[in-house]
Amino acid sequence: MANRILPLELIDKAIGSPIWIIMRGSTEITGTLRGFDDFVNVVIDDAVEYSPDPRDPSRIVKTEIGGEILLNGNHVAVMVPGGKKEE
Amino acid sequence: RGGGGGGPKKESILELAKLTDAPVRVKCLGGRELKGKLRGYDELVNLVLDDCEEFLRDPEDQTKVTDKTRKLGLVVVRGTQVSLVSPEDGLEEIANPFIGEED
Repeated sequence: MANRILPLELIDKAIGSPIWIIMRGSTEITGTLRGFDDFVNVVIDDAVEYSPDPRDPSRIVKTEIGGEILLNGNHVAVMVPGGKKEE
Repeated sequence: RGGGGGGPKKESILELAKLTDAPVRVKCLGGRELKGKLRGYDELVNLVLDDCEEFLRDPEDQTKVTDKTRKLGLVVVRGTQVSLVSPEDGLEEIANPFIGEED
């Protein structure tokens, strides 16, 4: 089959496009990927945070952070180039 | 100093080359479980999974994983968060061998 895809190359190709980041806990972030570093700390533009409501963890709260954020790569678990499909 | 390291680069005990294009199951730190086709990897065990699905956890008990999944598509899994990678074909559930064990 085709040559294997390098994970960080796939992320690099996604710069400028929507991305969906799934963290180690229940938090997720979407937005436009502006860049990342060796530790996969990530800069996201027009960021939107999805996290469980502390008072009702079965509900997800969507917070439009807007602007550019620096997301610490420590708890980044999964990255989905292309962003999240809205239901 | 004891321990390994300082030897030839790119040596891994996990032969991901063999699993390329195969369906794999990946468990993450924190309890997430994923499955997908392994399309790529690097020496830090960052992975590229195609047609990836995440197993959803029981809303009442987040430590229990259900059969329900959500589709993610082509994803990158961070090697720092990976706790297990195994071929899907190689998995078979057996009776708990530890029950009733003394000591």
